[in-house]
Parts: sequence; C-alpha cells; structure tokens
Amino acid sequence: MTTERKIKNIFTQGPIPASFIADSIQKHDTKTNIGGHSIFLGQVRADVIDGNKVAAIEYTAYEEMALEKMHQIREDIFAKYPLVCMHVHHSLGKIATGEICLFVFTSAAHRKEAIDACTETVERIKAELPIWGKEIFENESYQWKENI
Amino acid sequence: MPVQVIVFGQLTDILGHQPVTMEDAPDTSTLIQQLNQRYPALVNAPYIIAVDKKIVTGNTTLTGGNTVALLPPFAGG
Repeated sequence: MTTERKIKNIFTQGPIPASFIADSIQKHDTKTNIGGHSIFLGQVRADVIDGNKVAAIEYTAYEEMALEKMHQIREDIFAKYPLVCMHVHHSLGKIATGEICLFVFTSAAHRKEAIDACTETVERIKAELPIWGKEIFENESYQWKENI
Repeated sequence: MPVQVIVFGQLTDILGHQPVTMEDAPDTSTLIQQLNQRYPALVNAPYIIAVDKKIVTGNTTLTGGNTVALLPPFAGG
C-alpha cells in the first residue's frame, strides 16, 4: 500500500514563536510509538559585515515551486528513514535578529533515525528550496544572503 | 508565443518585482539573449532556470504560455 501525502504549506508570515514550537511538541503526547524527537531551529544571526550589523532578514520564496520541492524531499526522507512524523515551518517576510525563521521537527521510534532525518531535511531545505533572504543592516542598506 | 518571466532574490534588483512578458521566445537560450539585451546587468548574474516550476539545464524549447523563472542561488533557512 502506498501512502499519498498531500502537499503541505510550510510557510508562515513572520517569525516562528517559541510557544508554537512548544505546542507542536505537546501535540505528540498521544503518539506513544515515538521514542525520540529531533528539532532544528534556525535563528537570524546578527552578522557584522564591513562594520554594518544585520538587523533582520527579509525572506521571499517561489512558493509554489518550494512547496512542490518540499513535498518531494518529504517523500524521500520518509522512504529513507522510519519516521513517525515530520513537520517543517519556514518564515517569510522580515525576521529580526534573534527570532526563529526555520523549524524542522522529526520524530521516530529511536533517536538515530529522528536525528539523521532532521539533519538531512535541514541540509536539503537549504540547498534545494527556492527561498531567498535579504539581509537588512541597521543603517538600512542590504545585501542578499548566501548559504555556505 | 508570449512567455512570462519571473525573477526572485537579487534578480529583482535588476528586473523589478513584476513579471516581464517576452513576446517571441521559441526557447530558453533565445529568451535569455533577449533579456540580456534589455537588462545588461543580468549577463553576469548567477542563476538557474525553471520552466513551469521544473529546473532545466541546457536550451529548452518553449511552447508558449510558459512561465520561466530565473532563480539566483538559494538562501533558505
């Protein structure tokens, strides 16, 4: 039997609140086949470039394409790891330094699968999703973020 | 056949935020040549091309009504 998963929206306007992350963890208390969760949180860093400090990153995406690609990544990860569930949330719009812009949450019976699946998902999100970040400096100039 | 061109990220500094319609582009190479003439700053900009949300490599035939997206290096997360 094949399981058809619907294309899920991963985008949220603005930062991801810590309370949302806490609620998301809480919601798993009925899924008692889970033995390990792995969570990655991306936070906007205040880089200093040529004396200018980053104040925020403004994220934009080619949303339709990103959601299709994320669906494919999700299918690949579920095929590779015995996960119970996976949740991905990425911010759009202006996210201030110190705020959370990416939340990846994988759960499995055992820790290794949860951790490995989380790491691989984060790497693939950064490499494959058509998302861009404009680093806005305190003096209101900007540069386009590059992933390294 | 008209083709709609959309751009993202740093390419919006060159082409703006609105879609650009190119009237007669039989393939992606011709399209890019036309865009390079209209937007000289595009010539040295790094990007990959997606036709109707699928990344293409090499010259790709356009059948009309396509949406061609120019995608600079991704920077999510």
